[in-house]
Amino acid sequence: MSAVESARKRFLQVEGLPIVAVLLILVLAFMISAPEVFLGYRIYMSFLATVPPLLVLAVALTLVIAAGEIDLSFPSVLALSGWVLGYFIHDLGLPWIGFVLALVSGALVGYVNGILIARVGIPSIIATLATQFLWGGLTTVLSQGLSYSLGDVDQFLLWRLLVGRIGPFPVQALWALAVAAALWLVLNRRRFGEHLLFIGDNARVAEVVGVNVKREKIRMFVLMGVMAAFASVLLTLENKNFFNTQGGGYLLEVMAAVFIGGTSVFGGKASVVGTVAGSFIIGMVEAGLVATGLQGFWVRAVVGIVFLAAVVGHLVIEEPERGRASLRMLLGKFAPERKVPP
Amino acid sequence: MRALAPTVAAIGMMAAAAGLPAQAQEPLGAGITMYFQMGGNPGDGSTLPRTNGAKAAAAAFGVKLVEQYSGWQPEKMLNQFKEALAASPSCIEIMGHPGNDAFAALVADAEKRSIVVTSGNSPLTKLKDMYTANGFGYAGVDLYEGGKLTAQKMIEYGGLKKGDKALSYGLRAQAERGKSDQGLYDTLKAAGLQVDYIEISPEVDHDASLAVPILAAYIQKHPDLKAIGTQHGNVTAFIGKALQDAGKKPGEITVGGIDLSPATIDGLKKGYISVTLDQQLYLQGFLPVVQCVLSKKYGFAGLSTNTGAGVVTPKTIGALVPLIEKGIR
Amino acid sequence: MAANTTKHATHADPSAQNWRYIVRLEKVDMTFGRVQALSQIDFQVGRNEIVGLVGDNGAGKSTLIKIVSGVLRPTAGKIWVRDRPLDLDDYSVRMAHELRIETVHQGQSLGEKQPLWRNLFVGRQITGPFGFIDVKKEKEVADRLLLQAIGFRGHGISADSTVRDLSGGERQGIAIARAMYFQADLIVLDEPTTALAVSEVRKVLNFVEGVKAGGRACIYIEHNLAHVHEVADRLVLLDRGKVAAEFAKGEITLTGLTNQMIALHEGRAHVRG
Repeated sequence: MSAVESARKRFLQVEGLPIVAVLLILVLAFMISAPEVFLGYRIYMSFLATVPPLLVLAVALTLVIAAGEIDLSFPSVLALSGWVLGYFIHDLGLPWIGFVLALVSGALVGYVNGILIARVGIPSIIATLATQFLWGGLTTVLSQGLSYSLGDVDQFLLWRLLVGRIGPFPVQALWALAVAAALWLVLNRRRFGEHLLFIGDNARVAEVVGVNVKREKIRMFVLMGVMAAFASVLLTLENKNFFNTQGGGYLLEVMAAVFIGGTSVFGGKASVVGTVAGSFIIGMVEAGLVATGLQGFWVRAVVGIVFLAAVVGHLVIEEPERGRASLRMLLGKFAPERKVPP
Repeated sequence: MRALAPTVAAIGMMAAAAGLPAQAQEPLGAGITMYFQMGGNPGDGSTLPRTNGAKAAAAAFGVKLVEQYSGWQPEKMLNQFKEALAASPSCIEIMGHPGNDAFAALVADAEKRSIVVTSGNSPLTKLKDMYTANGFGYAGVDLYEGGKLTAQKMIEYGGLKKGDKALSYGLRAQAERGKSDQGLYDTLKAAGLQVDYIEISPEVDHDASLAVPILAAYIQKHPDLKAIGTQHGNVTAFIGKALQDAGKKPGEITVGGIDLSPATIDGLKKGYISVTLDQQLYLQGFLPVVQCVLSKKYGFAGLSTNTGAGVVTPKTIGALVPLIEKGIR
Repeated sequence: MAANTTKHATHADPSAQNWRYIVRLEKVDMTFGRVQALSQIDFQVGRNEIVGLVGDNGAGKSTLIKIVSGVLRPTAGKIWVRDRPLDLDDYSVRMAHELRIETVHQGQSLGEKQPLWRNLFVGRQITGPFGFIDVKKEKEVADRLLLQAIGFRGHGISADSTVRDLSGGERQGIAIARAMYFQADLIVLDEPTTALAVSEVRKVLNFVEGVKAGGRACIYIEHNLAHVHEVADRLVLLDRGKVAAEFAKGEITLTGLTNQMIALHEGRAHVRG
């Protein structure tokens, strides 16, 4: 390898660097196109209040995808755990017990997922799709279809601790970053995390090197459930409301954040840093485009472009041969002289 | 004369006794089954009061109520109508989202089988006119008129003038629902305001809290913005937050919205929301059941009721709070 | 540094010096649902013995070594390690490692997308305080190992390299280096020469001979009869889940062995009851 090649390789090996660069470029672009908004502090404070639930979900999901699985049931945890917290605050005035039970409800959902997937053997995409309906429906029954306003919940210590403000700065941003740091450590510096990577890489290899695949999968889904519940608590407290349909709008956004961040959908390779950057990109893009004056119609198209660019970019970095071949194939459709291979 | 009082009392008691069996009679709607399209998802801010109204009426009249939820999707509404037809109920309530033409054949089929069909929330004028005699009524707000009224009140209470900048944040891309935003937009424009329009994305449509940074960004980009109008119930609840995030104080921007979800209370009380259209959704649930019972039993014609009484403001919200929390208002 | 001794008897443990077989299977059965992969297997490996395990596809060789290495639990039978019986409920890959039994599985010993240092230490990570993995140390050891192990000098491969970037021979070298680093007393090789270049095959065979020279034992599964015939002290033929025949070194020629295999395949030879 030449000096340039190895320098390039080392640069690209710093985790998540490419996607963080994309994030910074995006912010820069918005600063140029909408200086009245993006050169001030307010819009960032707004982001730091709304991105945390998305970020917590995405980072947790990163571990699930690293293990070669998927979890589509987290929107229902957003609803269910939100209901538990809302009920205990609104009806019973017990915020801390509500908080603990909200996390427990998330763990329960995760545990059921884990059993269905690891013990019974149902593919995770089907199992979690099914449990999504189950727990979502249960939430509607439990809440009797009502939404709760948590009016003066900002008086409670729990609220101030989790989503309060230090000046204009939303505290949940600190919690979200703490979660991201913790899960980074788990994935990269704990046995559990390495086990997940091996399971996602090749479950058979994981078995022969001594990983208890079933047990680790169950633990992982429980972790996902608890994290989703935590995200739900942040969301519900910040909104000062429990909407019994809350969560549904997060499914695609969270997944986009993970894959834009560079985590491989095939498992075995994941980047928590990338996911953090991806979460901010997803969380910011619509507001940025609106501030720029572009119609909201453009948002999905732009997200799609960023998504594709990120995925192809990651492919080129990870597997230069396949990446170049894909690019050739893409461009081949536009270059009239080249024949597209049959 | 001393016998008069006891005699009158005795006659009175006998009359009352004669009346008692009448009271122990069956409820008016006994034996009637009604399939009812509630519109959104169970528990939705814009669906729940309707559901509660329909349930209350059904309980009062002894009607068996079958609730249907379509997430506001027209195709689903059509499918659910077919399901209702298959069950041969006494009555079916529908909404206008799929349109007159899509429903025409299906409604004709129902009418042929003597099923009473009536409507709510969003009109089906052509079909209503055809089948009024058979009990086809309407209990709802004219969506366009609703948006118009909201805008008019915004102008009135907010003191908005010609040349003022306004934002309409809505769902104009959706054929039926979009009419309300169109009404709001047109009215503001007609009053001479400079109106900008942004479409609500599907994600925000589902989780309205996602609108906050978007609106905050817009407000900051346009510091001389005087008004924001929407006809999306859940988004209305979060506009106050967006104003806060953008550093605006209550009243700096005139905000017009719709519906009275619990979250909107905060905004009205604090003064961030200036007016909100009250669809009186409860009536949109209650009245069609009444229509069903009266038309099925006695052949009364369909009645059109405009349930949109007006707007709620920070001044009038107080009295409504307990009812809102119960999902009635 | 080498891996630590554990509570189980090992080669170096003076109190257990007089054992005969490093591993012994007695009347082992392995059933998967309705399929009987192994029946009544009696199989043992001596202290310093290279046992060549041969047989046609589906004979049960891989299943047998998965039992030896703790991946599978037999449905019946007993296992002894260094003449001490194993509690089959407890036996696992981790315990096999603790007993200094290391296995190089065919094509599935390494996580392809993982870096070499992680592959080396998975399941027995070097940890620091609070159980956090000491990645720096693992990389150091890995780099050292690469220098010492089968021909990695100057290939541009480092501890950070991903397994996917390595050739078949290099991967094999890594897997074997891992087994040796953890001081295997018994090293099990499952088809180690598949997809290797000729020079790399020679290296593997030299390595197997080196195992013997070092006083250790080896189970060597091989499709290529010439290879295994060259190095094995004893040959065990497996056929349809049963031990069909055994030959000591010199008892059978390569040609004879080949004919035996063919005969078994065609059903003419007798299966040892």
